[in-house]
Amino acid sequence: MPEQQEISLSILKKRWLKFKTLKRGYYSFVLLVILYILSWFLPLLVNNRALILSYEGEMYFPVVSGYYAGSEFGQDVPGETIYRQLQATWETEDSDNWMIMPVYPYSPYEDITVTGNKMYDPPSSTHWLGTDNTGRDVFSRLCYAFNISISFALVLTILNYFIGVLIGGSMGYFGGKFDLFFQRIIEIWSSLPMLFVIIIISSIIRPSFFLLIFIYTIVNWIGMTYLMRAEFYREKSKDYVAAALSMGQTNFKVMFKHILPNAMVPIITFFPFAVVGGISALVSLDYLGFGMPPPTPSWGQMLDVGLQNITKAWMVFAPISALFSTLIMVVFIGEAVREAFDPKVYSRLR
Amino acid sequence: MSKNTLVDVKNLSVHFPVHGGVFSKRVATVKAVDGINFSIDRKQIVGMVGESGCGKTTVGRAMINILRHVAPDVEIGGSIEYHFGDEIVDFASLSSSEVRKYRSRVQMIFQDPYASLNPRMTVAQIISEPLQLHTDMTNKEQAERVGWLLDKVGLQPEQARRYPHEFSGGQRQRVGIARALATNPDLIICDEPVSALDVSIQAQVINLMMDLQDEFDVSYLFIAHDLSVVEHISDKIAVMYLGDMAEYGNAQDVYHQPRHPYSKALLSAVPLPDPSRKNRKRIVLEGDVPTPLNKPSGCAFRTRCPIAQPACAESKPEFKEQAKDHFVACPLVE
Repeated sequence: MPEQQEISLSILKKRWLKFKTLKRGYYSFVLLVILYILSWFLPLLVNNRALILSYEGEMYFPVVSGYYAGSEFGQDVPGETIYRQLQATWETEDSDNWMIMPVYPYSPYEDITVTGNKMYDPPSSTHWLGTDNTGRDVFSRLCYAFNISISFALVLTILNYFIGVLIGGSMGYFGGKFDLFFQRIIEIWSSLPMLFVIIIISSIIRPSFFLLIFIYTIVNWIGMTYLMRAEFYREKSKDYVAAALSMGQTNFKVMFKHILPNAMVPIITFFPFAVVGGISALVSLDYLGFGMPPPTPSWGQMLDVGLQNITKAWMVFAPISALFSTLIMVVFIGEAVREAFDPKVYSRLR
Repeated sequence: MSKNTLVDVKNLSVHFPVHGGVFSKRVATVKAVDGINFSIDRKQIVGMVGESGCGKTTVGRAMINILRHVAPDVEIGGSIEYHFGDEIVDFASLSSSEVRKYRSRVQMIFQDPYASLNPRMTVAQIISEPLQLHTDMTNKEQAERVGWLLDKVGLQPEQARRYPHEFSGGQRQRVGIARALATNPDLIICDEPVSALDVSIQAQVINLMMDLQDEFDVSYLFIAHDLSVVEHISDKIAVMYLGDMAEYGNAQDVYHQPRHPYSKALLSAVPLPDPSRKNRKRIVLEGDVPTPLNKPSGCAFRTRCPIAQPACAESKPEFKEQAKDHFVACPLVE
């Protein structure tokens, strides 16, 4: 068809099309994106509060509106309503009240204090992956931890790249004293023993999601500056940059409109591996106990608890296989991206 | 200096400091351009020739003020005075932000058509960029102008949506020409615009540039090392040697009656498609071009000059008007 031949593709578009032909990486990418998007709706899927509840003719939405005391729905429990129990009661009584529970009606936070939960409950049809040492549901925690891990890695990587591109790009582009100054700063900065810094900081301040990202960013932005400095240094001497400048383009526009699109290769190819690094970083911190404050669900903490109770196989197996499959999917994506950026048509990985 | 003068280059020098040692002290200076004088009138084509490394490209880049970008510590002396209407603007002394509003008046065509177009932008984006910067055109007007320009340079307006890698070298250079013409500039600096192209394409592109010069009333500074091309299109020819100007005058005078010994040698090397003249004397210069790091004293050409005398080493020869509009930097041929 002649019309189709007329369509011109940008280099990035071509690489995307090639990426799509690399099945292993492409399907990992699609699966991971779907899972990550789903994980933002976890409170609707995995939760111990009812989605919709009708009590004596009135509608309630506990997932959205939050806490309701048990007495409000005529349940004789101290504190919050136990919806699963209430649902069972209403069904046996055959009352007019009804509720719709999430698909998996357990929250990652409800422990042994909630009636019906037991410690070290092995996997069953109710608790798909059993419960842990405090009676919390392992599957539910696994799901929530997935969201936190990926979010942490993504925010960390994007922030690192943003700072790295800005500083590294400026170093390469402006050169001279600016470059020299930042190179010395980076040399000093990169010799900081990062793990100790994090351990010291988290023993002083109670770490939170953004504090951990902040601490990691302080040290990790350096990696990208090396690559970006080299890319910008190479690109700035090309004639299209001289052309843009002779046209009167500002330095900022030249850097980000002209050079950056031509310096995307290291950013895109390293991105999946940086995400892998981010996920493992959070897991190792949590494992050591310097990460997210309890009871935040996290794979590192689950791993830690699992290893303390090594005879309860499900507590070790669950976080390890979740971590393993997530990491391997991201690595598949990374490999496919590398392959898609390879100008040679026939290489490995099919 | 006539009323028609577009740009007047006076005593222009471009020196690049060389740093070395532990404390990055200045150890030497590359005198890429060392005090040259010439001027370009409106609608005039000035050809600039000289061998590799003589400073031709540096002159061109100094004239559009983009040297400081690659080498922030470059030292630019003298003046490059543009006469835009009643305004006189000295590009040598202005900072790059001050020069910005005059950018639309002076444009450049680059040597390598593969490097001078951003591979991530479509032809339409490339050509409309100067329009976005210097005009108030709406997107639609810009698209129309891009189509019109593409038509002018012999490409199809439908090709505007393509990327540079889908074009051949000659076509890319046409895109570069269209970009340079987009804002109706007064002067276009052509930095060896055809030397990266196939010979058959060279003629096409040069003829195109000549036609466009007529139509757009633009001046060219045509930098090349091919004298026959320069003679064909230029009104004036400037011959450079190692950062100095050896000879400057009307194209016919310089080409047919060269005075400076370097110009003579350069011209004798031009291949002629004329078998009856195959026995003409070929002047072969001895030795290599000295390095601009350590230029010979006095006349820079004296180390290779067939008529050099001891006096040549003493002082730099004056760039003197030996005949009407014919400047030569050699007192021995006066």
